[in-house]
Amino acid sequence: MTETTTAHTPAAHHDASHEPPRKRHWLLTAGWPRAIWMTFAFFGLGFLIVVGLRALLNYEPVVDWHVIIVAAALTLAPLGFLAGLGGFDYWASYAIGNPTKPEDHSGHGAYSWKDYFRVNTDHKVIGIQYVATTIFFFLAGGLLAMFVRAELARPQTEFFDTQTYNELFTVHASLMIFLFIIPAFAGLANFVLPLMIGAPDMAFPRLNALSYWLLPIAGVMLLSSFFFPGAGAGWTNYATLSVDQPFGNVFFSMAVQWAGASSIMTALNFLVTIITMRAPGMTFWRMPLLVWANFTTSLLVVIATPFIAGSQFFVLFDRIMHTNFFEPGEGGYVLGYQHIFWFYSHPAVYIMILPGFGIVSEVISTFSRKPIFGYRLMALSLMAILVLGFSVWAHHMFVSGMAAYLRVPMMVTTLLIAVPTGIKVFSWLATLWEGKIHFRAPMLWALGFVSMFVIGGLSGVMLGAVPIDIAVSDTYFIVAHIHYVLLGGSLFTIFAGIYYWFPKMTGRMYDERLAKIHFWLTFVAVNATFFPMHLIGIQGMPRRVATYEDQFANWNLFISISSFVLGASFMIFVYNMIVSWKSGPIAPANPWGGRTIEWLVDSPPPVFNFDEVPQVVGNPYDFGVKGARHAILNGDRVGAGELEPARTP
Amino acid sequence: MPRGSIWQGSGPFSRLDRALRRGAVVALISIALVVAAITTSIAYFVDWLPENASEERDGIDLVLWVTVGICLFVFSVVASVSIYAGFRFRARPDDDSDGPPIHGHTGLEIVWTAVPTILVTIIAVLSAIVLAENDSAKGKPMVVEVLAQQYAWQFTYPENGGVKATTLYLPIDRSTKLVLSARDVIHSFWVPEFGQKQDAVPGIVTTIIITPTKVGNFRLICTELCGLGHALMRTRAIVMPQAGFDRWVRQQRQGGGGATTTGGETDAKGLFASTCGGCHTLSKAGTSGMVGPNLDDLSLNPEGVRQQIRRGGGGMPPFEGQLSDSQIDSLVQYLTGSTQ
Repeated sequence: MTETTTAHTPAAHHDASHEPPRKRHWLLTAGWPRAIWMTFAFFGLGFLIVVGLRALLNYEPVVDWHVIIVAAALTLAPLGFLAGLGGFDYWASYAIGNPTKPEDHSGHGAYSWKDYFRVNTDHKVIGIQYVATTIFFFLAGGLLAMFVRAELARPQTEFFDTQTYNELFTVHASLMIFLFIIPAFAGLANFVLPLMIGAPDMAFPRLNALSYWLLPIAGVMLLSSFFFPGAGAGWTNYATLSVDQPFGNVFFSMAVQWAGASSIMTALNFLVTIITMRAPGMTFWRMPLLVWANFTTSLLVVIATPFIAGSQFFVLFDRIMHTNFFEPGEGGYVLGYQHIFWFYSHPAVYIMILPGFGIVSEVISTFSRKPIFGYRLMALSLMAILVLGFSVWAHHMFVSGMAAYLRVPMMVTTLLIAVPTGIKVFSWLATLWEGKIHFRAPMLWALGFVSMFVIGGLSGVMLGAVPIDIAVSDTYFIVAHIHYVLLGGSLFTIFAGIYYWFPKMTGRMYDERLAKIHFWLTFVAVNATFFPMHLIGIQGMPRRVATYEDQFANWNLFISISSFVLGASFMIFVYNMIVSWKSGPIAPANPWGGRTIEWLVDSPPPVFNFDEVPQVVGNPYDFGVKGARHAILNGDRVGAGELEPARTP
Repeated sequence: MPRGSIWQGSGPFSRLDRALRRGAVVALISIALVVAAITTSIAYFVDWLPENASEERDGIDLVLWVTVGICLFVFSVVASVSIYAGFRFRARPDDDSDGPPIHGHTGLEIVWTAVPTILVTIIAVLSAIVLAENDSAKGKPMVVEVLAQQYAWQFTYPENGGVKATTLYLPIDRSTKLVLSARDVIHSFWVPEFGQKQDAVPGIVTTIIITPTKVGNFRLICTELCGLGHALMRTRAIVMPQAGFDRWVRQQRQGGGGATTTGGETDAKGLFASTCGGCHTLSKAGTSGMVGPNLDDLSLNPEGVRQQIRRGGGGMPPFEGQLSDSQIDSLVQYLTGSTQ
């Protein structure tokens, strides 16, 4: 390709591969070198703005490090990092008047490991970036949990002072929620969802890339809060304790903003993708339940997440700008924080479980070789949870001193959520009924999820009843409940999803034996760790304490030992993933005999997913229906169904 | 009407119904009964509830047992279906065939929507009744003002001459209305044996009713994370017969630590016990707080003590503005005088 002639033909603007790359100095091209110097440059810019304005306005002291850290280090420097890495290049280029290149795929696909460390617009690469990053933060958060349990192994303080201890469990919870569960689901869906609906990519690939790169920023910010004490008010960061915390609390407030912005952008992307980019024939009632689940989850994220952003901004403003949102002496309203916070954070519980419901529906149907029982009711119950989920937030506040009359209506809506949730559980069980159940690793995790989630759901019903909640609120009973639903619930579904789609993502099979050992070890350790917590909670051990009464010493020692086994079980997973990705057996296109569209393409799928737009002709789970097909690909290729040679799941 | 073919080919009986008839019902019910028997006996024989020492705890325990019963029922049903399905429908490794295309069953779906709705309605109605009952006092309640601060409790008895204490003394079989407020951050009042719990929130006043039914000495715990000393923000709730309680009130009013007493030493001692004693040990004042330094072990100089009380530091909140200058003076005098 000659550089001089093609660059000026109009057609060249539509095809990046024909356009000659403009030679720039390596410090000026998008990538890590530019990201590093731009991070420092933007920090310097922020420093100058703060100091300049303060000097101009005669504020004392002129060099106020608190303001500088918030404005320069936690706001502008990350923007500089993103800009340097190339997150805004296309838009910036458009904004200064360069011709747009609608078919620019230069940032698409991964051909070497380096392509995972740049701004990549391929939803499959982004999906893997998400999953790998979130597993890293999962291990970091898990390590913090090990520290917490080490401290709690004996009744007195052993290893940490109380401020450090408070920061340990705060950052543990924040990492697990904001940097693991929520984005891990976003990552799995990022990879699978466009394939499932027959789309070549997400609707906004560049926005997709940007929303991924916000995550490491949030994670690093949370972890670095250990160098600036203060993120020790729990992941709930209740005012006025959060306002009174040492300065490091701003790291929590700002990290939540970055993680929240990431999930809002991803959710908008999912919504537009699902609404506008379904393949021909893919009606809403033919969508796989994973797509339904991410549709409802994205609605929750878009509506609710701005509220937690608001709550953290208010705390930040109270600290830095001396506003009085939560300062009672100055007319602030302390309970206001909790209302705003839980208006996000209760729906967030469903943000952290609905995508898991979707994954489990796929897995259980495939490995039972049966259609999902009551498909439409399954989809409708997701919508019911979505609607009800916005009307239950104050059940976190039964003892808070809010208006007393709110308690009974909030209890009724809370208990009613058990109904659509129950429908889902019973429908999964009915899907098993008369099936041909294959207990492969994804199925073990899915069934493990159902059993753990039933226990977590039932303790949730107990907590929904106001009198019981009053007695056990803020005790280890709550800790037990949240871990049954988030660990036995969300985490198990994430593992089900990772094992299920690992062949599709990497083109290799994982080691089944190690995966099963991983499951059974985790399953036993989860129960040994968290079930006794119900007991000590009811008997009077409050949560978030570094020391406790001697009467709980034996149970706590047992819990700590179990938790170390739990932590160790994930090493098996990490080993299995790394070794299998490098040298596992080559995976076929459809190792499980799944019927949804992602199993019709190669493992891993080609860069643009489909050579030709798939035609959707039937329901996604018509196992056992003679001649039924979900989709037809490339005209001549046979869709998954009776006519395809059967595979051993 | 669900699509699909569960009605196919066999008259009024679906595949599902046939599957159920094949002895499955007997097996399911047997497994459910075994699971229910095991879980119920664990719940019943293991002593997992704290002692019941208040009328409110009666109501809470009632709701708890009804809910636990319902939960065990649901758990047994789910466990029996999972266990049965796991063994009965396990595919042989070489079996590549699909299961029957059962897409749904309207009757079953109605049942498992309706039954849980009824069960949670039972829980909700019972809870609402118990809640209303626990919110109302039996007769005219005695009022106790509870002031929570980092990291201590202070109890004031306005109907008993404004007696102040750092331990909660209550008469038996009489409703007490606790009126809670907080000085700095949110705290939460909990005595496990009473069941009732209530946050103390800066800027608003919250209330809670407690009617003790047992004489005893119970844990009183802060359950809302309130900072460095949260785990140690504890005291005791002591329930005594009415006569004993009256005697205690009389003693307090005559000499020990009330706000009504005058005279430097006792005044400062009471002030110390109520304000500082939650965190600091000082044998002369009879306090045993473990959050801050043990003042028995320190040699204190007046100016240092004054600065520390005013400005705080090292985890201790500043008391300037909360204590008057003369109160601080008397504390300084009491501390530097009494520890040398």
